[in-house]
Amino acid sequence: MRSDRVVVVGAGPAGLEAARLAAELGSPVTLVEKNEVAGGMPIHAHYATLTHHFRSAEGAMREMIDAVTSNELVEIRTGTEITSVSGSVGEFTITVASNGTTEVVEAGAIILATGFQHFDPSRETQQYQYYEFPDVITIVDAEKMLKEENFVTPTTGKPPERVAFIQCVGSRDRQIGNEYCSKVCCGISSKQAIEIRKMVPNARVFIFYIDMRMYGYWENEIYWPAQEEYKVNYVKGIITEILSKNGRLVIRGEDTTMGRPMEIPIDIAILSVGMEPSAGTRTMAKILGLTSNKYGFIETDRDILDTVTTTVPGVYAAGAATGPADLDDSIASAGAAAAKAVSLLRTTAVTV
Amino acid sequence: MGTEVSPKIDPSRVMEHEHYELEGVDISGHWNRMFEQRVIFDYDIEQLDRVTALDGGESMGWCYQCSQCTAVCPVDHVGDYGPRKIYRKLQVGMDFFTSDDLWLCTTCANCLRVCPKEVDMLQIIPAARKEAVLEGAVPSELQEVFEKTARYGNPLGKNPKRRVAWTKGLDVEVPIIADLDRKVDVLWWVSDYPSYHPRGMEASRSLARVLTHLGVDFAILGAEERHDGDSMLRAGEEGLFEMLADQNIETLNKYEFDLLLTTDPHAYNAFLHEYPQRGGTYKVEHYSTYLAERIEELGLSHDVGGRVTFHDPCYLGRQNGVYDEPRALIEALPGVELVEMWRNRQNGYCCGGGGGGMWLDGLAAENQSMRLSEKRVLEAVETGADTLCVVCPYEVSRFEDAVKSTNNDGALVVRDISELLATALGLATN
Repeated sequence: MRSDRVVVVGAGPAGLEAARLAAELGSPVTLVEKNEVAGGMPIHAHYATLTHHFRSAEGAMREMIDAVTSNELVEIRTGTEITSVSGSVGEFTITVASNGTTEVVEAGAIILATGFQHFDPSRETQQYQYYEFPDVITIVDAEKMLKEENFVTPTTGKPPERVAFIQCVGSRDRQIGNEYCSKVCCGISSKQAIEIRKMVPNARVFIFYIDMRMYGYWENEIYWPAQEEYKVNYVKGIITEILSKNGRLVIRGEDTTMGRPMEIPIDIAILSVGMEPSAGTRTMAKILGLTSNKYGFIETDRDILDTVTTTVPGVYAAGAATGPADLDDSIASAGAAAAKAVSLLRTTAVTV
Repeated sequence: MGTEVSPKIDPSRVMEHEHYELEGVDISGHWNRMFEQRVIFDYDIEQLDRVTALDGGESMGWCYQCSQCTAVCPVDHVGDYGPRKIYRKLQVGMDFFTSDDLWLCTTCANCLRVCPKEVDMLQIIPAARKEAVLEGAVPSELQEVFEKTARYGNPLGKNPKRRVAWTKGLDVEVPIIADLDRKVDVLWWVSDYPSYHPRGMEASRSLARVLTHLGVDFAILGAEERHDGDSMLRAGEEGLFEMLADQNIETLNKYEFDLLLTTDPHAYNAFLHEYPQRGGTYKVEHYSTYLAERIEELGLSHDVGGRVTFHDPCYLGRQNGVYDEPRALIEALPGVELVEMWRNRQNGYCCGGGGGGMWLDGLAAENQSMRLSEKRVLEAVETGADTLCVVCPYEVSRFEDAVKSTNNDGALVVRDISELLATALGLATN
């Protein structure tokens, strides 16, 4: 049966924005979220602040959630997963499961906002001994400590004197299979470096990088202040390995602009892990029969003029489900997906 | 932190052969310096912090290693230098205040011209040198010049009374303003090298003849003139600069004149930017612009001939934007063809004399494969010019020495623009 409903999958930033806009445009919306709580990665991964505005992640997500809960056209189903989809554009039949019970939702269009997961440094290679050395952490772990306002060396519980970010972990790597740049890690590391310097003023903070990719305003809003005001030390040259020497973590690599090897003792190494498609993104692609790229992200119309239309009519994708994206990208593509979905349903309603 | 590893290079582990030749190339001294320890064991950021904490030193911490400065740093062409490298060396623990690197910069300003981050070596270098001066860590050759200047009022250590020696027996009159006891149109600030150096004196005599030919009502201060202090300030001797500036302002305030005419771009820079901050505000002009405004009046009629190339002084060009006027003068010389060196105007290559470089020849020799003046003379020779024209008194002697040391005697002569103008007017130039 034909439906004018839009089903949005995933209640992270992109899903919340798509749901909000589709409802604002007058379409009934069902927002399906497998977690019990909406808010997506910023909430579930305990982000302290958002890049690039340093805004509280919780505050921003609360605002987004409020915008959909206050709209009666939006029905939010948390703790709910999609198990199967049948039908086609204008008349999808979606089976959802929640607490062991299944239900059917009719929808005219689907917007996937199933997002990404952080690269796991244990995948394929035991990169940088993440699971061996407690003081080797990821930007996700660091973000959580920053949120708790307790940034300490895990093994000692004391504020670190020396912190080293290692960029491009799990990104730009043929061996790992993620050849793409994850786009946001340079900015997040620099943002965290500023926050660490504020929280632990005596800490020396280093960022070891291959290329700093601080596009757009991230350059002047994050990178320059990090170096100029917060005295974060950027060193070109990636760390090859982390070893333990006399009970101390030592990072080894080449300082490329000096052309010399380096072996620096550190308290905390923070792996700047990149983005990979989330399990939800992979599952939904399979359920809907969407084309994914070799990395598992959902393929959209490769024309750069359309970043949200997938290979299946009536199915759109927004946010990091289609590839590495920052928040600005996610909000923008969510808006585009909502507008296209609503517009499609109105057009088909008229022609039928 | 990290007591188990030494952050410093142990000097006893530095290997350096006094004489060493590799595949026919002489790499004696520091060029063959090797360190047993190549590994960076620590980033001793305190050293960078010491510089960025200085008033004027903040921007040292802004470098993002784009390296545009290195390509235009005149010192890097003959050595291993540049703001980008200084930043990195500071990050790995160089003590800037005791390093030769502190003294190699000529404050030529070409790095700042191209720096996207506006890392301002013109502020950083004097600020850091000021610290070294306060700690007494100044290269002895420069320290001697500081002392001579403090004592005699000029870096050559000459008797102030001999400042007017160049006017003796001259075929035109060069009045001393104190003797005139009246207002003059132009007070000519002759400066030290044009007063004392044999080649400078010749240029001064030519300029006196040219000014007289123009009928300019001018006078000089004579023995009352002291070093303008600008280069002392760039070399870190702020106290000496202040003393000289205050003395000069007191002297200038005794007399009435419409225009202060400077021979030296460094003096021009000081009167334009530094003296007003100490209460000395004057209408000031460099002689090249003053004369360029009077090309018609000059009536240049005698054939000079030849190919002339022009060296832009850093403190006239990049620092104060004067490029066209000296060229207009050269182009007005009958029979002369102006040919440009490949680095000219905004990108002019420094002669090495600025920022105290004039008095750091020994240090430059230790750290550079050749003098900057020698590099520049080679560029001048490459143009096929027979004459290198200059408008800065630091340069006649520097370039003439460089012509000799690069075996270009006979291929290239160095002439102050006033000497060429005097020739074009049929006046004597000796």
